[in-house]
Amino acid sequence: MPNNDRKKMTKEARKAMWRYVWTFQWSWNYERMQALGFAWSIFPILEKVAKTKDDLIAAVQRHLNFFNTHPPVGGAIIGAAAAMEEEGADGDAIDSLKVGLMGPFAGIGDTAQAILTRPIVAVFAASLAMEGSMAAFWIMILFGLFWGIFAKIALFKLGYNQGINIVSQVSGGGLVDRITELATIAGVTIIGGFIPSILGVSTAWEFTQTVEINGELTENVVKVQEVLDQILPYMIPVALVGFAYWLLKGRKWKPLQVLLALVVVAFVGSAIGFF
Amino acid sequence: MEISIGVALLLAAWAYIGIVTNLAPGWMWHEPIIAGAVTGLIVGDATVGLQVGASLTLMSLGMHTYGGTTIPDFQVGAILGTAFGVVTESVETGLTIGIAAAMLMIQLDVLGRALNTGFIHAADKYVEKGNFKKMTLMHLLGNLPWGVTRFVPVFLALWLGEGAVTAFMEWMPEWFMAGMRTTGAILPALGFALLLGQLPVKKYLPFLAIGFVLFAYLGVPVIGISIAAVAVAFLFMQLKGGTENA
Repeated sequence: MPNNDRKKMTKEARKAMWRYVWTFQWSWNYERMQALGFAWSIFPILEKVAKTKDDLIAAVQRHLNFFNTHPPVGGAIIGAAAAMEEEGADGDAIDSLKVGLMGPFAGIGDTAQAILTRPIVAVFAASLAMEGSMAAFWIMILFGLFWGIFAKIALFKLGYNQGINIVSQVSGGGLVDRITELATIAGVTIIGGFIPSILGVSTAWEFTQTVEINGELTENVVKVQEVLDQILPYMIPVALVGFAYWLLKGRKWKPLQVLLALVVVAFVGSAIGFF
Repeated sequence: MEISIGVALLLAAWAYIGIVTNLAPGWMWHEPIIAGAVTGLIVGDATVGLQVGASLTLMSLGMHTYGGTTIPDFQVGAILGTAFGVVTESVETGLTIGIAAAMLMIQLDVLGRALNTGFIHAADKYVEKGNFKKMTLMHLLGNLPWGVTRFVPVFLALWLGEGAVTAFMEWMPEWFMAGMRTTGAILPALGFALLLGQLPVKKYLPFLAIGFVLFAYLGVPVIGISIAAVAVAFLFMQLKGGTENA
């Protein structure tokens, strides 16, 4: 980040930041999603810069338009909008900043949180929790504090320092694309490792073969899992994920339908002694 | 042991706090491990809570509320699963109830999100009149539909559910238990499929293979795979060119 000279936060900006940190999504709804949270967070600044009450009403209404993004990463957008409002920027410019950035920032945030960091941390914590260790609980608490407090404050301040420049920062060097691609590659690699390590399902099936060796009949037990392992270890987990992916992508099933299909597979599979 | 009305109320309040503090600040008390451990402490066995929470966590991988989609409610699943797991002294029973509850709760999440539309409409009206105090109130009250849609079912399930759960337990045949066990074991497949579905996976298929080989053939533990994954990603970006931002 080239522009590193810190801007001092005004009292109102600080207020807006805490409103955003503590309550941002409380009024989340289907129609305009985070809009009311955005408007209420930035309100102290609007109140300060508005010259008349009508100006203030118009400004609040402007911020009541549809808004939805990844809450912590989107803090940069709220911070930038706060700085722009203080500088008396044009309402349309602030709107286009919000609309232009909310999609890409949601992409970065969802990738960084749900695809990259949460699986790693949660799987590690789950392995401790299985053994009954309270360390699992504290790891998740710290992880929550990181995204819910630390990241939100840091990103709001980043946006506030950059103001309108955040747009050129983001789009100029293709930074968003690069971060997203980096996180995506790491995420895909990790999922590749998780599929065999977490889906530890194997088959219990075995067959008894009668073979003739030197004129004598011997019983030979063939374990299906051992045969499968020789072809490809963890073949069943791979097949299950492939099946679910095919239903989702190939057959365009909804996640809940796929979930029910897997329940059926589980019940049938355990009834016939496969699992 | 039995669940008293006081404990039922306490756990319902914990469900309320968990979901609302996840909306903001977003500190993830809805995570099954956290929801389960606290429930376990309240009903007297944190270990059951941790174990139920751990299993639900593995099922929830890849399920994330992108752009406001609804997923099974693993938080309520962890709370009810832990409470009934402790009551019946069986983690498996708790897990069965937890999974069922998580799925049933989907409808109530949709209801909460829909009801909240009323608050922003009211806020619109107040803003038009310049009544900003009421706008504040509408925003802050927005947590009610979210919290109440968790509080009520958790309370009712714990208060009234014990008889039903005991009857269910007595009925439950072995094939059903086995089916639920297997369901729990294979459900992460959906999470991984969902994760892969959100990513341009065809473009990055080689990386999926690298991760698979690391565990399936080399037995590298999860943290090791994670370090390797980040390293591989950086390497790829550098080789692709333009290292200044990577």
